[in-house]
Amino acid sequence: MDAQLFHIFRNTPLGRETLLQSIYFCKKIGASLIIYIPEFTKFLMYFENDVVQIDLDSSYLTSPETALKHAKELLDQGKIKARFLDPKNFTASTLPDIATNFDFMCCPRSISDLSSKIGLGYIGPRVRRIVNSARFPVLITSPVFKKWRSIAVFFGGSANAINALKLGFRLSRASEMPLSVYTHMENVSRESYEEIIKNENLEEEMDRYVTEWHIFESGKFEENIYDVPHDALVVMGAYGHSLIRNIFFGGKMEKIQSTITNNLLIAGPNYTLTR
Amino acid sequence: MRILRLWRHPGSWTIFRLDDRLLLILIAVIVGTCSGLAAIALNRSLIAMFEWLHNFRHYWWSFIIPAVGAALSALFLDKIVKEGAGHGVPEVVYSVSRYGGLMRFRSSFSRLISSCLTIGSGGSAGPEAPVVMSGAAIGSNIAKFFFLNDRQRITIVGCGAAGAISSIFNAPIAGMVFSIEVILGEWKSVNIVPIAIASVAGTEISRILQGNQIAFSHRLFNIHHLDIVACIGLAIVSAAASLLLTRFLRSMHGVSKKAPFPIWMRAAAGGCMVGIIGIFLPIVLGEGYHSIRTMIEGAFAQGLGIVAVAAFAKILATSLTLGWGGSGGIFAPCLVIGSLAGLTYHRGLVLLWPSVPWVNEGCFALLGMAGLISGMLQAPLTGIFLIIEITGSYEVILPLIIVSVISTTLCHYIEPASFYLKELIEKGQLLRPGTDARVLSDLNVRELLEKDCISVKQNVLLRDFVNIIKKSHRNYFPVEDENTGNFLGMIHLDDIRSYLFNPLMYDAVVLGQIMDTDVEVVYLDDDLSKVLRRMDANRLFSMPVIANKKFIGMISKATLLDKYRKELMVQTGF
Amino acid sequence: MKLSLKDIARCLDLPASTVDRWIRQGRIPIHRSENVCIFKKSIIEKWAFNHGLPFSPLDKEKEIYKKQTLKLENLIPAMQFGGVFHGIKGDDVESVLKSAVDKVPVLPINKEGLYERLLEREALTSTGIGKGVAIPHPRAPLPEEIDNPLITTCFLEKSIDFEAIDDRPVFVMFILLSTSIKNHLHLLSRLAFCVRDDSFVKFLRTYPDSSSLLSKIADCENLLDRDDN
Repeated sequence: MDAQLFHIFRNTPLGRETLLQSIYFCKKIGASLIIYIPEFTKFLMYFENDVVQIDLDSSYLTSPETALKHAKELLDQGKIKARFLDPKNFTASTLPDIATNFDFMCCPRSISDLSSKIGLGYIGPRVRRIVNSARFPVLITSPVFKKWRSIAVFFGGSANAINALKLGFRLSRASEMPLSVYTHMENVSRESYEEIIKNENLEEEMDRYVTEWHIFESGKFEENIYDVPHDALVVMGAYGHSLIRNIFFGGKMEKIQSTITNNLLIAGPNYTLTR
Repeated sequence: MRILRLWRHPGSWTIFRLDDRLLLILIAVIVGTCSGLAAIALNRSLIAMFEWLHNFRHYWWSFIIPAVGAALSALFLDKIVKEGAGHGVPEVVYSVSRYGGLMRFRSSFSRLISSCLTIGSGGSAGPEAPVVMSGAAIGSNIAKFFFLNDRQRITIVGCGAAGAISSIFNAPIAGMVFSIEVILGEWKSVNIVPIAIASVAGTEISRILQGNQIAFSHRLFNIHHLDIVACIGLAIVSAAASLLLTRFLRSMHGVSKKAPFPIWMRAAAGGCMVGIIGIFLPIVLGEGYHSIRTMIEGAFAQGLGIVAVAAFAKILATSLTLGWGGSGGIFAPCLVIGSLAGLTYHRGLVLLWPSVPWVNEGCFALLGMAGLISGMLQAPLTGIFLIIEITGSYEVILPLIIVSVISTTLCHYIEPASFYLKELIEKGQLLRPGTDARVLSDLNVRELLEKDCISVKQNVLLRDFVNIIKKSHRNYFPVEDENTGNFLGMIHLDDIRSYLFNPLMYDAVVLGQIMDTDVEVVYLDDDLSKVLRRMDANRLFSMPVIANKKFIGMISKATLLDKYRKELMVQTGF
Repeated sequence: MKLSLKDIARCLDLPASTVDRWIRQGRIPIHRSENVCIFKKSIIEKWAFNHGLPFSPLDKEKEIYKKQTLKLENLIPAMQFGGVFHGIKGDDVESVLKSAVDKVPVLPINKEGLYERLLEREALTSTGIGKGVAIPHPRAPLPEEIDNPLITTCFLEKSIDFEAIDDRPVFVMFILLSTSIKNHLHLLSRLAFCVRDDSFVKFLRTYPDSSSLLSKIADCENLLDRDDN
């Protein structure tokens, strides 16, 4: 698979865990790794209809002289080659632009805020904006490096969930890992989900890749999530809810990300399968 | 819910999908109004701040005030909104030319606050560039809100800038011309119409809130033929002054970069020096509109020596403020320096030829402003229209044109890039629409990929290869590793043609032995201009494209020409 | 009209990524929502015309594609079309050709003209390719006169001197008339491949009838196609 994963290296123990996760991900799905070692505390990402300024906290600039060495050590251990990104364009002299034509991007739960905030139920505002505007799915790592041995897709029937499902197929194909689908039924029958799959012509792929389709007909969502194996990569689509909607109603994504510690791969509303 | 979503996507409404001009005009009104309001807000708060601080001017420690203001503004930019210093116009032009005018939301207010702190406290800088940046960012964010496409967004960014300039000077044409000449660089009716509307909206807002006042009104001038001849000399003087200002700004920038303090300390040091100059020559403080007014009215009392020194001091103060990290533009200082230079020149003339009935010195001050603006911005039209509009004096149009044009030309000789665009040109990032650089930067390697090459494995015998050649359309064959599929080298038919007709070689040679391993390769994210330069340097017509160590296609000059031409036609068409 | 991005890119003969970028940059009057492009056909046609770009709707696009990849005809249909004739009379090249041309079945073409053209080509160099076989053909293809390429097989009454490259007298002629140069080369090379095989020539010496000749040719062609793939 000719895919690229973009990783911003933080030269701290926490950043090491994140990089290990990226390396593992790349090795599993055969993607190539692109690492950016920041020289400035901020950079811009220009998306199709948005520009996001990412303000890194100063821990990203910790001892720049060892950063490259540390990153290379980890790469050597993981026996993987990576390309180091050198920003070519600058909006202002201390404000590089980072291209956004990657296939995946790896983020810790929070890029810019204090690392004390990294925990369940919190995803930093800039990570959210990246998820919302990016055409690529974002890999949100668990705080500590954790290998995953299966893929779990949350499928709720929406258009974006179908994208997430397709993404799951793609990962399963590339990594040859078992894929299971989880659906929490919401007032509709089991058949209606199968109908959606049928309409999208995904039946064949469902049969080929999916080992199990868990449909929870009863019980609270949060409790049912316990069935997701601890060592699964969770793939899901995020709907572009506005902030207000999220506060009042809460999204599935919020519930999932505040309940499980797995690595999450989130396909945002702008995620396209064209590439 | 659906209606709500549709409302945010006016671009997809049936009436606007086919012709978006009406849509752009509607949005231009909104943007022009908003950026006009931003400009007035800055103007009002500047006046308020200046008046409040005026109470402290007579204390001995008053020179600290600009230092505090500059430091606060640098701190605000660096720590709170986390933006770079500088006046922001290059950023606008950059984002217009590379990213379809996408700008951050924070840019729409950051420069307003920081420049207000710098200028209000007495720093020698202008509020115009910050207002342009804010207006452009407001436009960009409104366009983003409505999900407009790049071309529409660029126009709306231009509208924002035009509205801001129109509003702050009460000068609609100047705003329009500035936006098109400096920001967009593209004279097309699809741009001009919405921008004109935005200028009107911006001006109207300013007239409603501030009254229709011409910034520097004056009495009539009687211009004689001799005055027009004298203008040539004035053009030279103002060109020299603008060159001096450019050089000073740059050297100050260099000096302050080397200073081993944090940014806000540098800004404070610069502000402090400005404050000290201000004690002796208070004219250098602030944006200086008041003193321009007195000069144009011909009521500036000081003698030739003082005026000349003041002109020089203003140049110094401006470069100290901006070069050391204060925030603001050069528009207003240019006007002040220009009028001081004009005054100096006039007094010099009177001294040399006292018997000639020269026109009032206010006229020369006015012409000097035009000379400086044209020289610094290298945008003669902006200079001419701005001065006419802010002084309301059409009768000086002839000398005005002469001064503007000559000053622009002279400055262009010595400084080929204008103050706003210099940074971009140095980085090779000035990508005006329809230029070679723009076409090449818009195209990317992926779009030019030719995928009809047949890959071969390295252990294939030449005999089998001959059969592969039969089926191929191309002269190039990438060689891959059997197991990993990694790219190893290229075979070009030209290189092996002689062996092809020698059947003895057929079983003696495998492709791994005859391939060229020392090939220039291209990666997917390479810049096309660089790729082309490499092709030219190595006399190549095509190069293999590699991604993730695997061959994915060829890129050739022939396809490039085809795509380049299409791109150019689409870009320059209407 | 609604089309997917890929289809619209095919219509414009551009990479999908270019069209995608143009839509994003607002250079092309197409609106995109997710993967569907919405546009008005007349507008896009006008736009393409104004910018000197080709625009061919999908069905036409397929036609062009078909034309480009049109499979070249093989020997069998051409030979069937041209017919197989025995006992062609004549003592020298001119008279043999003259009587052979009479047999060529596509007509209402002007036989005199064809004869002259064949002679003209013979005057350059002999078309006798050796082993007693000649392949007379005009210099240029005849796209106007005929719709399909044809090969008329003429077994001569008696072998004649054709000034062939190996100086052996010619006993069979394949008159090759084609619609395009490409077609001509294709048929010629196939025919030459057959003749290169000595057993085939031996078979020709038996003056076979039409059906057995065609089946033999079919065998040869199968051999050729197998080699190609």
